[in-house]
Amino acid sequence: MSSRLRALRRASQLLFFAAFLLLFGFAAHLAKARGPVPPDLFLRADPLLALSAMVSLRKLIFPLLWYALPVVALSLVLGRVFCGWVCPMGTAIDICERLLRVRGRRPSHAPAWRRVKFYVLIALLAAMLLPVGHRSAQELALSQTVGLSAVYLLDPIAIVTRTFTLVVLPIVQRVVELTSDSLTVFSYSDFAAQHMWLSRVLNPLQFGFSQVKRPVYFRLSLLAFAVFAGIVALGHLARRFWCRNLCPLGALLGFLGKVSPIGLAVSDKCTRCLRCMDECKVGAITEDPHQYRGPECISCYSCIAVCPESAISLTTGEENAGRSDEVQLDRRRVLEAVGFGIAAALLPKVDWGVKRGGRGVLKVSGAKLIRPPGSLPEDQFVTACVRCGECMKVCPTNTLQPALGEGGLDALGTPVLVPRIGPCAQICDLCGQTCPARAIEPFSVEEKSHLYLGTAVVDRSMCIAWAQDRQCLVCDESCPYDAISQKELEGLGRPVVDERICVGCGQCENVCPVQPQGAIHVYASGDRRHLSRQEQEAYWAGAQQELSAESPYPGL
Amino acid sequence: MSSEDMTRRELFKRAVAAGLAAYGLGELGLGGLSQADAAPAPTIAVATKGSPVDLVRRAVQGLGGMGKFVKRGNTVLVKPNIAWARKPEHAADTNPEVVAEVVRLCKAAGAREVKVIDHFIDGPDADVLRISGIGAAAQAAGARVLAASSMAMYQRARLPRAKVLKSADVLRDLARADVFINVPIAKVHSTTGLTLGCKNLMGVVWDRGAWHASASLDQCIADFAAHYKPDLVVLDAYRILLSNGPKGPGRVASPGVVVAGVDPLAVDAYGAKIMGRKPQDIGHLRLAAASGVGEISLDRIRVRNV
Repeated sequence: MSSRLRALRRASQLLFFAAFLLLFGFAAHLAKARGPVPPDLFLRADPLLALSAMVSLRKLIFPLLWYALPVVALSLVLGRVFCGWVCPMGTAIDICERLLRVRGRRPSHAPAWRRVKFYVLIALLAAMLLPVGHRSAQELALSQTVGLSAVYLLDPIAIVTRTFTLVVLPIVQRVVELTSDSLTVFSYSDFAAQHMWLSRVLNPLQFGFSQVKRPVYFRLSLLAFAVFAGIVALGHLARRFWCRNLCPLGALLGFLGKVSPIGLAVSDKCTRCLRCMDECKVGAITEDPHQYRGPECISCYSCIAVCPESAISLTTGEENAGRSDEVQLDRRRVLEAVGFGIAAALLPKVDWGVKRGGRGVLKVSGAKLIRPPGSLPEDQFVTACVRCGECMKVCPTNTLQPALGEGGLDALGTPVLVPRIGPCAQICDLCGQTCPARAIEPFSVEEKSHLYLGTAVVDRSMCIAWAQDRQCLVCDESCPYDAISQKELEGLGRPVVDERICVGCGQCENVCPVQPQGAIHVYASGDRRHLSRQEQEAYWAGAQQELSAESPYPGL
Repeated sequence: MSSEDMTRRELFKRAVAAGLAAYGLGELGLGGLSQADAAPAPTIAVATKGSPVDLVRRAVQGLGGMGKFVKRGNTVLVKPNIAWARKPEHAADTNPEVVAEVVRLCKAAGAREVKVIDHFIDGPDADVLRISGIGAAAQAAGARVLAASSMAMYQRARLPRAKVLKSADVLRDLARADVFINVPIAKVHSTTGLTLGCKNLMGVVWDRGAWHASASLDQCIADFAAHYKPDLVVLDAYRILLSNGPKGPGRVASPGVVVAGVDPLAVDAYGAKIMGRKPQDIGHLRLAAASGVGEISLDRIRVRNV
């Protein structure tokens, strides 16, 4: 019995980690093959993310709720079993600690650090509750406010997903690309030409690689790597330093687990060898081995496995007396956490971030703050987005990138379009299908013609046709919405943009042959997210009507 | 594209030209024996009325059948226009049935491998192939369908006789193919007026943005056409795009025509006629003709209606 539980726990960890990787791979490559399990299952199942999205947006989000409730129920019954058995971040830390031989020092028993995660959770809650933004231009009442969702910074599932998206995926893709290109070059070599049988091996291989190969470059990869590496490196101070001291999800689940009827009991066989205390990943066992801290225990059951006397066992009810569920929080620190949360929620809003005009229109923002189609109005968007990177991962053209300064401090890491990397493909609706936080609401491919992300503007001082009197209308050629037409001037066509139809997909900016920056740019000036979808559609329909009146081919 | 084939084709061309010269002169009453003497007049086959498959078959048969171009064991490169993620009825890409029939004819003529390949402008590759219908159709016909989206598939080539385009990164598959068949669609084009066969060749080049940034896009197209002559051109005018070209969506007409020929300019000139334009008014056709790529005056082109 003793070590069997630990083996079971390890199997569970590996299984869930494999599932995480599998779903990650699905989302990265086969997002269209929608199965019974959503590829962002782990993010949806994260109660902290669900709580944050719902509290800060002040609404019930059922796609999150249905998946998060089982984890809540699990924690109510079994405590932090999610942390020990399921969490991909926990497993990633365990794997790294084992592979890199990171062994924390003998655990410190001072509970001070352990409380940090609870203060973090409190600060996050304070930020969520604070009315820092408005839902929309029409709803200015206090009841219609949104809070600040800063969980993306510290939620483990968001961090681990982001790490895989921004760090692991690009590296894997670069290896795939190099392999694919090497195979391609080899397949054209004289050697391959002389040995025709090689093509029977090379062709399927090349085909396979070409199917997997996708353009993947991400900004902030280094930052994402540094965050994860830092979390692993903290393991030198104490094993699973992150889980025991910092993780706000762990704090939440530990808090829920206080009502758990199941616990550990130590029998009289105990010789106080304290091996269990040394082995405990999170330092939950006190110097008196008959006592342990319930909200800290992640149910890894290593203690049961290492006990030479087999004195530790799972129990229910009264026998469970060794468990202490008290979270001794310092009232002063709690107030400090609340204050910190409020400051953290307000500062980004008064910093260089987005400012709105009277009717909810973006007034001050980075000129290149181009959001994916279906995105919520900016205040709600930065609140809802958990910076998990799922949208960037599924984006087939790689145009979705983590924001740097475009939307200010509180938009850091949210998705923006970078058209020079790729256009927003007319036939794609994946980001809307994928977003676990509904910051990008689902949209249909047909709707894309009137979801206005921005407007393209021709830089006539750079444009080949305008500035150099040469033949070039590449932007006009490839515009999927036919928003660019040519103006005949001195016998040569020059591109002009019709801002009524241009949705700012960035195809023109992407294909413009002026290197490196292009001579046509999408700017946030055409962003119409402050309007409802019906209003945007009506605007588009009006434009279509005006156009068909102008068009030489009526009825098109 | 071995020299042996070239000679054979040349022979064939001369034979057909000679045979038809008398017929043509008698039929049309076109004067000017001296003009006909200057160079053998190119022949094109024009198929009308029928399904795309039927039109391709008749047009190629009109030139003497695919066996004239594809020999047993040859590697064939088929270059349709698969630039955009548009459905066949939008006439922005070559008709998938036209492509498939060309592939089948090559296979029937004994081709060892038929590659259908293009450098798409839209993406992602899989979506372009799916929506255009060409991926599934060509594959079912027995072709190997390739998206030329990797720089590793191209090789720098010098174009010694070019006026503007001195070099280009050209598909390696092109140099390695025994037979090169260009299968364009006829569309209007915002920059070049029309896009037909010569313009379609931009899809075997990697760095085509440089053509636009060059002194003259038209001259680049003409330069490239002068260096890379397909063995056969099958022009799809089953559906044509008459406005908002090259990507559309625009006004689509259905002339239901397929034109086949060996002289790339003769086919393009006839294509221009279908599109309601004078070949001489299309800059790159005029420049290519000036470089001696082929014949663009319609009264010097023999048309076999099949």
